[in-house]
Amino acid sequence: MTNTSLETNPAPLLKVEKLSVSRSGRSIIEDVCLTIDEGEFVGLVGPNGGGKTTFLLTILGILKSRKGTIEIYGQKPASKSILGKIGWVSQSAANIPNNVRITVRELVQLGTLNARNMFWGGGANQYEQVKNAIQMAGLQDVENRDLSQLSGGQRQRAIIARILASKAEFILLDEPLVGIDRESRNSLLKFLDKLCHESQKTILMVSHDIAAIQQTSHRMIYLEEKIRYDGAATCFPDLADLAALRGIQPVHEHNYTENKLYQLENLEEK
Amino acid sequence: MGVGSIILKLVAPFLEFIAPVIPGEIFPYFFTMEMFQRALIAALLVTIVAGFLGTFLLIRNLALIGDGLAHVSFGGVAVGVVLGSAGPLWYALLFSIIAAILIHEMQTRELLTGDASIAIFLTGMLALGLVVLRIWGGGITTDIEGYLFGNLLLIDEASLDLICIISIISLFSLSIMYSGLLATTIDPLAAQVQGLPVRAIGLWFSIITASVVVSMVQVVGTLLVTALLVTPAATAQLISRSFRLCLIWTQIFGFISVILGLYFSAELETGSGSMIALVAAVIFASVMIFQSIQRQFIQPTDNIN
Repeated sequence: MTNTSLETNPAPLLKVEKLSVSRSGRSIIEDVCLTIDEGEFVGLVGPNGGGKTTFLLTILGILKSRKGTIEIYGQKPASKSILGKIGWVSQSAANIPNNVRITVRELVQLGTLNARNMFWGGGANQYEQVKNAIQMAGLQDVENRDLSQLSGGQRQRAIIARILASKAEFILLDEPLVGIDRESRNSLLKFLDKLCHESQKTILMVSHDIAAIQQTSHRMIYLEEKIRYDGAATCFPDLADLAALRGIQPVHEHNYTENKLYQLENLEEK
Repeated sequence: MGVGSIILKLVAPFLEFIAPVIPGEIFPYFFTMEMFQRALIAALLVTIVAGFLGTFLLIRNLALIGDGLAHVSFGGVAVGVVLGSAGPLWYALLFSIIAAILIHEMQTRELLTGDASIAIFLTGMLALGLVVLRIWGGGITTDIEGYLFGNLLLIDEASLDLICIISIISLFSLSIMYSGLLATTIDPLAAQVQGLPVRAIGLWFSIITASVVVSMVQVVGTLLVTALLVTPAATAQLISRSFRLCLIWTQIFGFISVILGLYFSAELETGSGSMIALVAAVIFASVMIFQSIQRQFIQPTDNIN
């Protein structure tokens, strides 16, 4: 490690430098630089096709970068030594088909698996680990229920509980708020907030829901091929400024006050 | 003495012990005569292995892979015969394993869904077999039925040995891979991030599936293997509330199908494989009808959100 001032400024958990990624010949991400420190709650927003999911998959080492470097915990993506430290909730994770019979407990148990203990089904202390994860997610009452009997919010929490059972410290979530109602959304956000502040997890969450991210995360990043905004969530620009950042002149001033998500999508259509 | 004979020796006294209480005129022979005992043991072993495989295959949307690989193996046999091989079965195994791996790869790379790639391999390899036999086969007749429809009642010692060995290997592999396999089946990406060898698990699962299908189809027939791969597992999915229960119910439905199927086939003098498949399908239909009637009249007891 080349970091000389380790005491005052600990090495960032994630360090991305000049990252460019292409998918099927098209450049999705250009020259992205960012660092994430331990304990941060970062919201990643941006339009469809702006590269949010691509960015996450590249960090995970599932997609290869064209240019640039990524370091997680000082290691390359998907290095063996960091595998257990990263948890990933994919966009489709909660879409487990209804014909799959699996209970919350069975699902969470899968989180305790790794390359070393996967034979004969998990480590010795997994019972405690699973129990704690289920408790943290507040799913004790439904732990023996089949996933298809749960609400969208409960399902999403079950998927996150699976990550918690793995003892991951850096949690990446891809659109966890899609398809769940407002009430579940709020309880899920509260849960994530608790994870960050009480369990010292670092969270990077991708979402369309700018309003939701803004009330929970510390820091927001607006990604559309390049990073257009990176800063405190409270200072996230409103839409006219955002459009300027994206190089678009807002055609028409809207008067929506509450739902920024809707505004942004509306803007894209113009 | 092979594994099959040892198992037969171990189980035979028990079968003979319960034989007196077995109903029917011909059915008790399955418990007393060696030839029938072999059929019974083979059918039960195939059921156990197919049940475990089937539960995973259903989740992976590969229900028809048994049928598909059986036809692929026919193509392999044809090529083997034409090349003058003494053991065309090895060609069948090779072709089926390659096909199973390719089907798996195409599905994980999202090039094709499971059923589409199965259909392509099924028709393509069946056609290859027919064409190859037609052009280079000389006097060999295109006896597809011989390769696709074995007969449960004509199992010799060697076949029973083969089934026993394959069953033991696959049950052992499946039981140690159980958790890893479930994780990769439910969410392959998450499993990969967790550090599980997703690719290796997928490949090994394909190889087991292919070996089971090829070895068992020769002996008990495509119809029975396909039915036992899919139907008990599908019935279990209807009523189970957890994955573990699903595996257990699959075994229970499979066992009932085999015993009832053999009973009816013996008493009504029909083909044993087809009767077992029919019973399995009837059980599925009854459970489904019963369940939908129950849903109609009984309100769900708990409303979640």
